[in-house]
Amino acid sequence: MIVGEQKPLDEIRDQISPFKKVLILGCGTCVTVCFAGGEKEVGVMASTLRMAGAVSGQEKEFLEATVKRQCEWEFLDQVAEQIASVDAVLSLGCGIGVQAIAERFPKVRVYPGLNTSFLGMPVEQGVWSARCAACGDCVLGRFAGVCPIVRCSKSLLNGPCGGSHDGVCEISPDIPCGWQLIYDRLEVLGLLDTLEEIVPPKDWSAGMGRGGRSIVREDLKI
Amino acid sequence: MQQNGATGARVVGAALVVGGGIAGMQAALDLAESGIQVYLLEKSPWIGGRMAQLDKTFPTNDCAMCIMSPRLVECSRHHNIQIISNADVVSLTGEAGDFTATIRKRARYVDEAKCTGCGICIAKCPWKTDSEFNLGLSKRKAIYTPFAQAVPNVPFIDTDLCMYFKRGTCKACVMFCELGAIDLGQQDQYMELEVGAVILAPGSDIYDAGLSEEFGFGRYPNVLTSLQFERLLSAAGPTQGSILRPSDGVEPRKIAWFQCVGSRDQEHPYCSAVCCMYATKEAMLAKEHLPPGAEFTIFLMDLRAFGKGFDAYFQRAQEEGIRYVRCRASALTEVPGSKSLLLQYENERGELLTEEFDMVALSVGMTAPKGVSELAAATGVALNSFGFGDSSPSTPLETSRPGVYLCGTFRGPKDIPDSVTEASGAAGEVQRLLASGRGTLVSPKEFPAEMSQVGEEPRVGVFVCHCGSNIAGVVDVEEVARRARELPGVVYTDHVMFACSTDSLKAMREAIVEHRLNRVVMASCSPRTHEPLFQENVREVGLNPYLYEMANIRDQCSWVHGDRHDEATDKARKLVAMAVARSCHLEPLYKLPQGLSDRALVVGGGVAGMTAALSLAEQGFPVVLVERESQLGGLLLEHDTLSSGRDSREQVSQLVERVQANQNVEVLTDSQVVSSIGFVGNFKTRVASRSDPTQRLVEHGVTIIATGGREYRGDEHLLGQHPGVVTMGDLEKALKSDDPRLRQAKRIVVIQCVGPWDEQPFYCSRVCCTVTMKNILRLKEINPSCQVVVLYKDIRTYGAREEMYTEARRAGAIFVRYTDDDQPVVQAAGEALEVSFTEPSLGERLTLAADLLVSSNALVPSAGAEELSRVFKVPLGREGFFQEAHSKLRPVDFASDGAFLCGVAHYPKSVEEAIIQGKAAAARACRVISQDELMVGGVVASVEEEKCTACLTCVRICPYNVPIIRDGVAIIEAAACQGCGICVGECPAKAIQLLHYRDDQVLAKIEGLVELMAAGSVAR
Amino acid sequence: MSTNGFEPQIVAFCCHYCASAAADLAGSMRLRYPPNILVIKLMCTGRIDLLHILRAFEGGVDGVMVAGCLEGNCHFISGNTQAKRRVQYAKQVLESIGVGGERLEMFNLSSSEGPRFAKIATEMTERIRNLGPSPVSRQKKEVVK
Repeated sequence: MIVGEQKPLDEIRDQISPFKKVLILGCGTCVTVCFAGGEKEVGVMASTLRMAGAVSGQEKEFLEATVKRQCEWEFLDQVAEQIASVDAVLSLGCGIGVQAIAERFPKVRVYPGLNTSFLGMPVEQGVWSARCAACGDCVLGRFAGVCPIVRCSKSLLNGPCGGSHDGVCEISPDIPCGWQLIYDRLEVLGLLDTLEEIVPPKDWSAGMGRGGRSIVREDLKI
Repeated sequence: MQQNGATGARVVGAALVVGGGIAGMQAALDLAESGIQVYLLEKSPWIGGRMAQLDKTFPTNDCAMCIMSPRLVECSRHHNIQIISNADVVSLTGEAGDFTATIRKRARYVDEAKCTGCGICIAKCPWKTDSEFNLGLSKRKAIYTPFAQAVPNVPFIDTDLCMYFKRGTCKACVMFCELGAIDLGQQDQYMELEVGAVILAPGSDIYDAGLSEEFGFGRYPNVLTSLQFERLLSAAGPTQGSILRPSDGVEPRKIAWFQCVGSRDQEHPYCSAVCCMYATKEAMLAKEHLPPGAEFTIFLMDLRAFGKGFDAYFQRAQEEGIRYVRCRASALTEVPGSKSLLLQYENERGELLTEEFDMVALSVGMTAPKGVSELAAATGVALNSFGFGDSSPSTPLETSRPGVYLCGTFRGPKDIPDSVTEASGAAGEVQRLLASGRGTLVSPKEFPAEMSQVGEEPRVGVFVCHCGSNIAGVVDVEEVARRARELPGVVYTDHVMFACSTDSLKAMREAIVEHRLNRVVMASCSPRTHEPLFQENVREVGLNPYLYEMANIRDQCSWVHGDRHDEATDKARKLVAMAVARSCHLEPLYKLPQGLSDRALVVGGGVAGMTAALSLAEQGFPVVLVERESQLGGLLLEHDTLSSGRDSREQVSQLVERVQANQNVEVLTDSQVVSSIGFVGNFKTRVASRSDPTQRLVEHGVTIIATGGREYRGDEHLLGQHPGVVTMGDLEKALKSDDPRLRQAKRIVVIQCVGPWDEQPFYCSRVCCTVTMKNILRLKEINPSCQVVVLYKDIRTYGAREEMYTEARRAGAIFVRYTDDDQPVVQAAGEALEVSFTEPSLGERLTLAADLLVSSNALVPSAGAEELSRVFKVPLGREGFFQEAHSKLRPVDFASDGAFLCGVAHYPKSVEEAIIQGKAAAARACRVISQDELMVGGVVASVEEEKCTACLTCVRICPYNVPIIRDGVAIIEAAACQGCGICVGECPAKAIQLLHYRDDQVLAKIEGLVELMAAGSVAR
Repeated sequence: MSTNGFEPQIVAFCCHYCASAAADLAGSMRLRYPPNILVIKLMCTGRIDLLHILRAFEGGVDGVMVAGCLEGNCHFISGNTQAKRRVQYAKQVLESIGVGGERLEMFNLSSSEGPRFAKIATEMTERIRNLGPSPVSRQKKEVVK
């Protein structure tokens, strides 16, 4: 899922400072699950901003709403009326949600309340960890289901660098060395010999570097 | 009235429980919940017993009153329980199933029907004496209740002190009681009760410390009993939790506890079983209460930390600096002037020392309760030589008279969980005896149909109570009622003298009907004591009880702001406004009936499991008993004799025969549980058999886990490497097979407390010391000249088992203590062995030759415990045994409803204790499966599926493992939900609400307050 | 800013089994504490929601306390430890917007600790009295004027 976290309160307040009436819009999917932008967070954000406004003498009006998925126009249309009634929208969706709002409502000012952090999973309740870089050219099959792009700090494809010590990355003792993880899994699976094969350079153009990626399925079009 | 199918005799579906302490209350509640009418008779004017006097309880330091007062309230309001306090049994005639008990209810001089417990009589009474409840550390009045939560909450007049009874004058109480509840002419009443069975739970007394003159109790003011010390620790006690010396009111810096005062002596040859742990507890709590630097010393012989979690508690005490000195204190002198106390003692090395203490607590033991012989005579039961109730080890809860059972400390000294377990076990015996009469004498209260409030605007009625002068003396009640009329939604207000009096309740019902009220707010006392009464009252005129709300303007307002009338009135107005606002958001809730299976699944076919299975099967419930091995019997199959002297084979085979002969029990041997789903009343469990590959699906309403344990087998002390080294279990087998080595041995050395202590913290296996004593006596029988040397850390022959220790010593066994730091060493010497150890009084290392070394090995959890814990989603404790819901008051329940545990699966225990626990687990299970349907709902979590994102937060956070994800949304089964709301407070999608505590209902209180403040008519 | 004559309004979310019972016991014992504390009873402090705390401050109360069973002795096993985490988080939020984290506190007490409830109520009132009116309510009042 998409994992995000709320922006610092000051940054959020700066963004919306010119506006008197703001809709805080949550999203009921990924960001709900990662406790960043669901219905509850919308309520907390609204209450927090109202109080912050009261304390600083800049009282604003905040509306609250949460849609099933901000990245679908149909769901956004359900709150169109509320959007039309405010000066700006503070989206607690991921970056996709913010853009969907911008595209659907060309004249509406929309601001992100979250930083969209990564694609990942909860490793325990309250802790999320990146697992996918959306590189567009998946190599997990080669690496026993451990992604070297995300989990190795240098995204190395042919073994670890010299900074791997006791299974930990030199960047931080809290980061396990991705290549240690790959090695351990391959060992369990009895596939260590596959490491002898040299992995050719990856097609990075399928990923972040290329603007305007899209997928078209003619068969699904209506 | 029912006929017993087998004998044709009459079976009365009612029981008499004698004694309203924690054991009596437990038995009463278990019986009442399973459809038996209960008379709970208490000798004193109030129930609660000894536990009410305790501050905290070991080993969790749970507050005693916190865990006990809900039981008090439950007993007082249960429709199937009638409390008869201040009463004695005069006689008991008839026979099992059909007794007539004659009861004398002594005059209380206060009419229980009229009194509302307002306390004005107590406040106005001018006569004082020492409080029995606080053991003379504070005063009480001539008319009094012992503690704030007393049940019944009705005072009692002490005629020895009351001036009216002494001189015919005063009557202050009569004058001030506005309800006319004082009845100075009240007479003793006699009544006859028809009951099918009797449970005796009169408890015990504490040893009279004054009899041990050498300690100066009563002469030296700073010598207290441990129970007095308990009162000093209590925040609600005479010093509000300050530890002060009675002589000068100064905090002591050095406190000592003397163990075994009135235990383990010539007159009391038993161990009181609780003192080592309570002294440890008191020392730890005292340390919390006193400034740093204070010193705490416990003088003892053996530390008897034999229960679950006790050793860890002892470890903690030592880490916190509590000092343990192994010496029985024998005399004490007072230092003139300072009134401190001087103790001369000999330490373990034999050095004579003198030490001064500021305060000494005598750890007094338990004795048979006063008046026990009268009770025994009236009920026709036998007492043992110590004056406690007598019973046989194989039928531990039966007295000498059929149909009369016993439990708790009346059966001998024991702690709270053991008392509670016995009480449930005794209730189980009664459930079984009276099975055919169940439900015949109890009937649920009938109510009229509820009014429909669909679509109606809130019409709130506010009733403000004066509570005599309790509220009205401080709060301007009339003003509160008048201003409440201004609040949104309020259509009616009134103020009443005593809201809980019969005429006020009636007036309230009439007002509801006349003014078509659909919400009721009561501004009076605490919901904890009075909500059930008022809820029932509104229900009687067809209002859903969940449309009722309470503002506590007495306990949390007038009583604590007595000196600030205006502010208290303002606060009462706020509390009322908050309650009114919330009431407008309330909605009716209904408990709906849900069908259930009356079958029990018992996992484990040892003594505990078989006992539980039989207990249920013999009252007609179908039982499936799953045993992993190919034969029933469990641990006992390998034993020779029991500590009670009985042949264990006989014990097992009798049980197995009864199980196999009972048509209600289906035994699945060679079988294991593989999966289980569902919730209380409706479990579905798959059982796989070794012989048959098809899995069996069992549908059952309750689960009882009784998977036992096994003897630890490691390689300590050359076990497995030298033929002369055996475990205690091996010795049992050798005794059973009459091994010639035992007859030839010249010296046998026994080492206690052997276990996997390199891998996990030490815990006591509870039974080994007693088993060792038993086997010493057996060895001495077959080989009298053999010397037996026991190397031990502490001898833990708790309770009456102490006598076996005494016998073993009399038989010539030698006991030498070792410590963790200085362990015995065993070496091979050809066919024989050499054991070296330190003799503490000599301070020297000795080496003895031994023909046989017996290693007393720990009992460890059975191998499948972890797997079962996952399958049934029930937790394991730190030692790896199954973890009960609450170590004190729910000893055989799991936290999740419908699952129970018994036997060694819970913790090592004796056969007698396993039998009791098996019966207790069955009784608790019976509470569930004896119902025709489970009433489900009320304050439970409810999921709005549309909003749920299946994030798993509720699944992970619920302490009872209730939520599951099915078809992409969370499902919270109402029957299993405990109503805490932990998941509700965490759900990121706001998809879960706790009914009756929904967000809008909680926030309404804040909004009500904010609106009132904004209106400006009330001070902030 | 003068705090003369200022009487704070404090809301106390109390669990049913312990904190609320301790408050009742303080009453039975006729102890004294300031009338500034208003108890809102929940079954368990585990029910407390971040939103409840924030909305109370938003409404203009000057202080909030959450009071549950002793740690390790929660009647619902772990409700009070969850509440503690939520209170910690709410303190950060209040701090970040200038209301002040110290206006919110979590307490653990047993039902027999009536005197402690009175003490906590007194100390909490004193603490908030010293802090002065909540900046939220101060602003609101000025707006009203």
